Amino acid sequence: MKHLPKHLRPRWRYLAVHLETWPDADLDRRDFQRSVWFATQNLLGDAGSADADCKVLHFEFADGTGEAIVRARHGHADEARAALACVDEIRGDPVGLFVAGISGTVRACEEKYLRRDGQIPDERKVVFEDDQRSAVVRGNRYDVRTDGAFAGATELDFE
Amino acid sequence: MVFYEGVHAHPDGDSTVARMAATAADYEFDGVVVRNHSDATAEYDTDPERIREEYGVDVVEAVEIRADNPEVAAGHVGNYRPKCTVLLVHGGTPSLNRFAVESDRVDVLAHPMEGRGDFNHVLAKAAAEYDVRVEFNLSRVLRSDGGPRVQALQDLRKLREIVTQYDAPFVVSADPTNHLQIRGPRELVAIGETIGFSEDQIRDGLREWGRLAERNRERASDDFIAPGVKRGRYEEEP
Repeated sequence: MKHLPKHLRPRWRYLAVHLETWPDADLDRRDFQRSVWFATQNLLGDAGSADADCKVLHFEFADGTGEAIVRARHGHADEARAALACVDEIRGDPVGLFVAGISGTVRACEEKYLRRDGQIPDERKVVFEDDQRSAVVRGNRYDVRTDGAFAGATELDFE
Repeated sequence: MVFYEGVHAHPDGDSTVARMAATAADYEFDGVVVRNHSDATAEYDTDPERIREEYGVDVVEAVEIRADNPEVAAGHVGNYRPKCTVLLVHGGTPSLNRFAVESDRVDVLAHPMEGRGDFNHVLAKAAAEYDVRVEFNLSRVLRSDGGPRVQALQDLRKLREIVTQYDAPFVVSADPTNHLQIRGPRELVAIGETIGFSEDQIRDGLREWGRLAERNRERASDDFIAPGVKRGRYEEEP
């Protein structure tokens, strides 16, 4: 179909999202998109989620951290933000999520708010709860393996 | 803007105080109130002062008293009041809610609507009179769905209507139990606006933790005599 004249095209806002999970999670764009749709529909209803029209445009995730750009309709960015905050888990993996900023273009969004710091995680032995345990270390953050789960800590806890 | 979040740290939650503070700093909070339950109080392996220096986040030592009945709770209040900066009571039954709002020594009544708990005009008036903050707990809005979430929203609406009517003081919290459950202040404002709060209400509720901590620290300091009383200079002989 012939594309719309410029003044009729929808206007968008782009939300830069930072993601965090425990180190054993493995996510892709489709998982995240599914959770976003689910969260918007649950919080805003069918009408509201159609209005916000959230779409995951860009998704990078590795080793327990990730970044994404979520597109929402201009004027519905706050609703989109609220719905994103309700994304509590993706395919059973709990996620932490933070909207770093909102821009009018994808490029501005990437340049201003996304930073691929690419820290390679490292395994280290630590003493936690009086026990030798292994921990996944990313920068100054430690995710300690406890029995079948993880505990969050930082380097300050092992000084 | 000074925003604080009330968090459950290890062993009450999964993440240590330092990790909670580090994530809170990333999410643009200015402080965390470590509100561990009285049966799982926080271990400060690291000095709160050290965390403050490292991450630039204020760490407030608090306790959320969990007891089966008001008598036991009253014992805990006497026990923990001198030890912590902010004192909360784990609400959720009519008798404990009533006990909390009628105690001068309690700062916050946490999640009054949870479980069998309920709230009414009598409790709201008492909360205003005894200066006990009522908590708007967003945890079930953020982390559950379906029927339980609808109920949580209904409860929040009822609580909000009563609290605003009687001008009772309040705090807002997402009540995270690990660092992944923390949500930034702007996210909480967006959620609040979607479910019927005003932007100012949520901001005020997040700021109130900080005001409370500051007031209690001042009261606990050695210079404090009584509210409004200050030690001045002696009048000099002419």
